[in-house]
Amino acid sequence: MSAYQENFFTRGPSPLARLTFFSLVAIAIMIADHRFQALAFVRLGVSVVLTPIEQTLMLPGRLTQRMAMYFSDQDRLITENAALNAQVMALSAGHQQALLIRAERGYLESLGEASKRFGDRGTIAEIIRDARNPFVRKIIIDKGSSHGLRPGLAVIDGAGVVGQLTAVGVLTSEVTLSTEKDQSVPVMAPRNGMRAIAVGNGRDGTIDIPFIPVGADIQVGDALVTSGIDGTYPAGLLVAQITAIDRNPTFQFARISAKPASGTSQQRFVKVLTQEELKDYPRPDVKSEEARPGRDRAAPKRREVR
Amino acid sequence: MDLSPVSHESMRLPAPLRLLLGSFIVAFLLNLLPWSGIALQICPDFVLLILLYWAIQEPRSVGQGLGFLLGLLMDVADSALLGQHALIYVVTIFIVQMLRVRVLQQSLPAQALHLGAILLLAQLIGVSLNLSMGRELPGLWMVIAPIAGAILWPAISLFLALPRLRLAARQIIG
Repeated sequence: MSAYQENFFTRGPSPLARLTFFSLVAIAIMIADHRFQALAFVRLGVSVVLTPIEQTLMLPGRLTQRMAMYFSDQDRLITENAALNAQVMALSAGHQQALLIRAERGYLESLGEASKRFGDRGTIAEIIRDARNPFVRKIIIDKGSSHGLRPGLAVIDGAGVVGQLTAVGVLTSEVTLSTEKDQSVPVMAPRNGMRAIAVGNGRDGTIDIPFIPVGADIQVGDALVTSGIDGTYPAGLLVAQITAIDRNPTFQFARISAKPASGTSQQRFVKVLTQEELKDYPRPDVKSEEARPGRDRAAPKRREVR
Repeated sequence: MDLSPVSHESMRLPAPLRLLLGSFIVAFLLNLLPWSGIALQICPDFVLLILLYWAIQEPRSVGQGLGFLLGLLMDVADSALLGQHALIYVVTIFIVQMLRVRVLQQSLPAQALHLGAILLLAQLIGVSLNLSMGRELPGLWMVIAPIAGAILWPAISLFLALPRLRLAARQIIG
């Protein structure tokens, strides 16, 4: 430190003191953000200022894209139109059946007073860009709290579940993809009704299915749809398709990887499902657990047994 | 031979505020461009480059405090963990403050080498912070970003020194 004597008249704390102070503050902020998600309001405030700047920066690229689309060849449009028409025909039969099933389900639900778990309503949003951070699997969409969005809503595209809204700004929101590390979606296999959890592993194009016993009835090619038991994702949305199963008997669980159904790299639009929040859904009640005195004493004991 | 205890460099006029602000705004806008894919991993952090340049050239006006604030701004813009860029900026500015006399005496290519090492350290801090949160390494392309920053360094230094050089030339002529 003796090398630093060049600023003869400097007042105030030394560079090392400043380094220590700012580093500690930065680490405290990181912990507050990572552990307690306490700084959402800072994010919201800064993003309000940043969004218009970002929109302006996107403008030239969007204009050229528009121009390119305007001059795109008729051939491509005609084939695309035909393909879309065919798709509409194929889907319409399913849709009509779905209407009937939905009506029947509504009747059954009214009989059993079951909660509504199926999302019908939604907001179409355009994908603006990927998050500028190579470590995270997030995309930014052009709808925010001014369009009625709030954190936690499910996001889907034409093929299946894309992810979940995690940070909502005024005009834009951040969608955490289901491939993001530790982002989990409760799923079930429609073939046999087996429930599982699809957990992202931070890499594009794969999702892990942990905690499935080696002998479980699961096959390559099985589709996984949302089970709806978490109250976040409506039931019945396609999440992934199983691509590889490694049944190694030395491990308790099989290593299963799946291919996510949605590909955000090809899509431009997504749908944010704005279903009503399930108020009667049982949520983890933290306070009642704290109130119970026996819990705290039991916890360390359990750890010793392990 | 110059035997005076005060170096000529410390007698220099401070850089114009317009240049300082302008360079930061341009760097920030460059960082905000919609980079994605490999380009995102290769492109250097322009705000950090400009911060380091001014921390070397104008240590009285640009220091760790400004680096901390700009770091928080970049964290929100990059949807990164809040405080991550702030820590990286503060640490690298500290190193530059330690080395600035040494760096200023070097030629531009040698300066670029110094900066390359510092930028590599910044990248390492960022990667290790993300790995400690259990994230995957996005790719080995990330090694290129500090090299790109070091390559850009001479150009940035020359460009930002232009107004000063012009002023000096005018004084000599006039």
